[in-house]
Amino acid sequence: MILALTIGFLVAGGTYLLLQRSLVRIAFGVGVLSHAVNLFLLTAGITAYRQEPLASRMDPAQAADPLPQAFVLTAIVITLAVTVFLLALAVIGRNDNTHRVPETGEEHDR
Amino acid sequence: MILVWLLAVLALVPVLSLPLTRTIERRTGYPLGILYLVLAAALIPSARQVVNGHPVSYKVAWVPQLGLNLSLRMDGLALVFIALALIIGAVVFFYSPTYFRTGTQRGFYVVMSAFTFAMVALVLSDNLILMFLTWELTSLASFLLIARSGKPGEPASMRTMLMTFIGGLTLLAAGALIIARTGTTNFSEALASGVWQTDPVFTGVVAVLIAAAGFSKAAQFPFHLWLPDAMAAATPVSAYLHAAAVVKAGIYLLMRFTAYFYDVPIWQILLIGVGLFTTLLGAWFALQQTDLKKLMAYSTVSQLGLITATIGVGTEFAMTAAVLHTIAHAGFKSGLFMLMGIVDHQTGTRKIDRLPALRKAMPWTFAATALGLASMAGVPPLLGFISKEKILASFLEVSGPAGLNWLVLGIAAFGSVLTFAYSGKILTGAFIDGDKPGPDVREASWKTLAPAAFPIVMGLPLALVVAWFEAPVAAVLRSVWPGSRKEVSFYLWHGFTVELAITVLILALGTWIVLKRASWRRKVEKPIFRYDGPAVLGIMRERVDQAGVWLAGLTRFDYPSRHVAPIMVSLGVLIGAGSLALWLTGNVAPLHPDLNRPIDLGILIMTAGGVIALCVTRSRLGSAVLLGGIGITLTVQILLLGAADVGLTQLLVEMLTVIVIMLVLRKLPLEFSHGKNPKIRRNAIISAGVGLAAALAAFTVIGRRDRSAIADYYLAEGPVVTGGSNVVNVILVEFRALDTFGELTVLGLAGLAIVAVLRTIPRRYLDPEPDPSPDSPVTYVAPPVVELDVEGSRAYDALENAEANTEVLRLLQKALLPILALVSAMLFFRGHNQPGGGFIAALVAACAVAYIYMAKPKDEPVSRPRTPVLLIGGGVLIAVITGLAGFIEGEFLQPIHLDVLGLHLVSSLIFDVGVYAAVLGLVLVAFNALGISGGGHPSDLKYVKERAARGVAE
Repeated sequence: MILALTIGFLVAGGTYLLLQRSLVRIAFGVGVLSHAVNLFLLTAGITAYRQEPLASRMDPAQAADPLPQAFVLTAIVITLAVTVFLLALAVIGRNDNTHRVPETGEEHDR
Repeated sequence: MILVWLLAVLALVPVLSLPLTRTIERRTGYPLGILYLVLAAALIPSARQVVNGHPVSYKVAWVPQLGLNLSLRMDGLALVFIALALIIGAVVFFYSPTYFRTGTQRGFYVVMSAFTFAMVALVLSDNLILMFLTWELTSLASFLLIARSGKPGEPASMRTMLMTFIGGLTLLAAGALIIARTGTTNFSEALASGVWQTDPVFTGVVAVLIAAAGFSKAAQFPFHLWLPDAMAAATPVSAYLHAAAVVKAGIYLLMRFTAYFYDVPIWQILLIGVGLFTTLLGAWFALQQTDLKKLMAYSTVSQLGLITATIGVGTEFAMTAAVLHTIAHAGFKSGLFMLMGIVDHQTGTRKIDRLPALRKAMPWTFAATALGLASMAGVPPLLGFISKEKILASFLEVSGPAGLNWLVLGIAAFGSVLTFAYSGKILTGAFIDGDKPGPDVREASWKTLAPAAFPIVMGLPLALVVAWFEAPVAAVLRSVWPGSRKEVSFYLWHGFTVELAITVLILALGTWIVLKRASWRRKVEKPIFRYDGPAVLGIMRERVDQAGVWLAGLTRFDYPSRHVAPIMVSLGVLIGAGSLALWLTGNVAPLHPDLNRPIDLGILIMTAGGVIALCVTRSRLGSAVLLGGIGITLTVQILLLGAADVGLTQLLVEMLTVIVIMLVLRKLPLEFSHGKNPKIRRNAIISAGVGLAAALAAFTVIGRRDRSAIADYYLAEGPVVTGGSNVVNVILVEFRALDTFGELTVLGLAGLAIVAVLRTIPRRYLDPEPDPSPDSPVTYVAPPVVELDVEGSRAYDALENAEANTEVLRLLQKALLPILALVSAMLFFRGHNQPGGGFIAALVAACAVAYIYMAKPKDEPVSRPRTPVLLIGGGVLIAVITGLAGFIEGEFLQPIHLDVLGLHLVSSLIFDVGVYAAVLGLVLVAFNALGISGGGHPSDLKYVKERAARGVAE
């Protein structure tokens, strides 16, 4: 299944980016990983059926599985939220190197 | 009923002391003391009943499900301790008003009276859980009283708390074991159970636990260190708690549970051994002290050890001795503490070496102290003498190998010699040895002296009528051994017995030591051990602290990759191994035909190339472009899979993500950091492995069945049930509306989280001024190298003049925004039947917001700060209300269908409005938070030039 290979590439790339030091790269990694998972979900509805599930113009025998599509739709928007949050964190202090805790004016006990 | 009244009144006293201290301040002690005496007098009829052999009991269910009942029982043992608590409490309360020179002492009175309540409730409780509760209350009260003494009291109170709460834990464990095994929470009933005879191991374990609890309260080794420590508290506190109450709670526990364990060998060995050891230890340490109060503290430890050992003997005779000595000890010890407090007050010091010879200046104090010390040392004809004789006699009854009782007796006798010695040390050190006192050292007023001396002075007449104690002590015996018929006889003179001979020996030896005190004092006062108790405890705590820090250090990394790597590896291993397992066991169904299309291959190649490039590139801008590219590729794939709505959403989300990335990237360096990552090989291997596992898993589990049954249901029934043609949208807002509701809450929370995080950081850290030096901790942000002409030239304007540059955009905005709003509305309303819906409409509106932002000449927020929060909250609220309205139809979020004016309206449309608002709110937050700049960043050429000019001038 070709899509399995696509998923594999995306997961590999996402994991690699997730292990990087720069928070921006980590955010990108989250994005790529979520692409992979979305694709995984979509292919769970059998990809032999690829017609849009719109009742006005579909052939029920050929329509794609609508349930994974509903899942993925919400997942995409949530990923947007998470990515924006991570990028907001990356901007603090102008240095997104995660190995250095940015100056935030707080005092740390230990 | 009398018991409940007693407890109720005692519980009210702390409350009563609040207004009392406000009005008559320190003198509150007098009314409270009188109250206690009245209570004691009111108990006389019940006391008579108890002594005659009929214990007073009272029971009412409190929490029946837990077996916690208010079971109160006053028998002989309880009677003795209640009398001690009330009478000594009254005496201390009479002493306090004149002892405390300043302050209202409100906390003192409240906690002391609360403590009395706890103590009386403890000795009255017949229910194991109630016993534990009141036990912990006494621990708490003693902690509070010590902590009141300010700075020096702090470490002492913590140590006290630690020690006494360890005892509480062991008591809890023992109680739980008893309840679990015997099935009852009532003390007396549990006693009747047969498990004590049949299961020696269980009995032994419970015995050890109870012994530990008693030791912790009664300051036996190794818990003894809290008692001298607790001397930081004020003298009345010491007098009451540490002479008559808290420590007596421990003794009470040991006496009470003697009913269970009197013939259990480990109990006897533990009590006698630890008790005698503590006697010697305490006496020796007491002898070493030069501080009067500390000396008394160690002396208390020693005396308690003696009592503990006596309890451990386990015979009825021993119990009578222990009870009598408890009473005697409470009397003379509390009195002695109070007298020491008087000496401290009058002379200003507690150190023996600094005290002048006080016997002429404070004669009454001298007389009372001498009497008290004599009682402690066991000099006839005082109460202390009688009780000590009895103790020595009871040691003769120790059962075991031959000669053991003589050994025990010998050790106890040696302890008594030491007792005599340190008593002599106190007397001589404070009153006899020393310089002539100055003229300002005077005798204390009778108001302070009388209560202090009272318990001691009572020791003399009580010794003469000691036969009065026989009946109550017999009642005590009956409470411990229910069928006891032993005749108790107390007497001042019993003839020439072994114990009398030993006492004479002790007195002789002791007197000789005291007379020779000058020679041995210096030698004895050298400390034996390098560390004392508190130091040992301090070291233990340090070690435990260090262990904790080390343990936490194993996972205390601030950067994500250290935590992500194990997670991803575990994930890869799990799915890879799982898939392999499925293959190897042959559980894999055959692949569905016709899964692939040729176009999938093209997308695979593009995706693979994009991903590899994304991982490798060093340029931030490049990675943003590549990410966008991968996103678009996937959009194509999604559309090809027949997911129209999803594809639209993905496209719009991708655009917004790229815009947000650009908002962020302009504040960061142009490239990712140049340092070589040492983990690059490890990361590559992990990611390759996980990717392989994911591909294998996808191949194994997906595509090996026909389309699911639920898909068929939705495709067939969905449009029929809901009236909407877009099955995906129908699922989102009607069938699975609850999931969508949860999802929009997540969105809203993400937006709020962004606001919260960025609001708590001061501006100068969010957007610090870039440091032009290459090796600053803030990564060097290189300003763009642009060759420019003079300011004002066309080239300059083209790059610098933001106002002019965005003019075109703003002109277009006038036309574009209404169109976008129209498109958004159209997508919103048609979502039920065509690709569209709340999400997509909101994302289109978000694009309009992005456009507005980009058309602004300055970096300003797009809306007021409140607006996105209101949108998010409003969206969630709308969704909730729509959901609640669904109850009309029967369920939360059940869609309501209405036909109005020929239009078919569904309540899910309103739900979609909530979704719309939440998504829009999130995007607004993103632009408001990330779109502003702190005034000066490297892409602002004018700013950089100004700084360079300033740098030249400096």
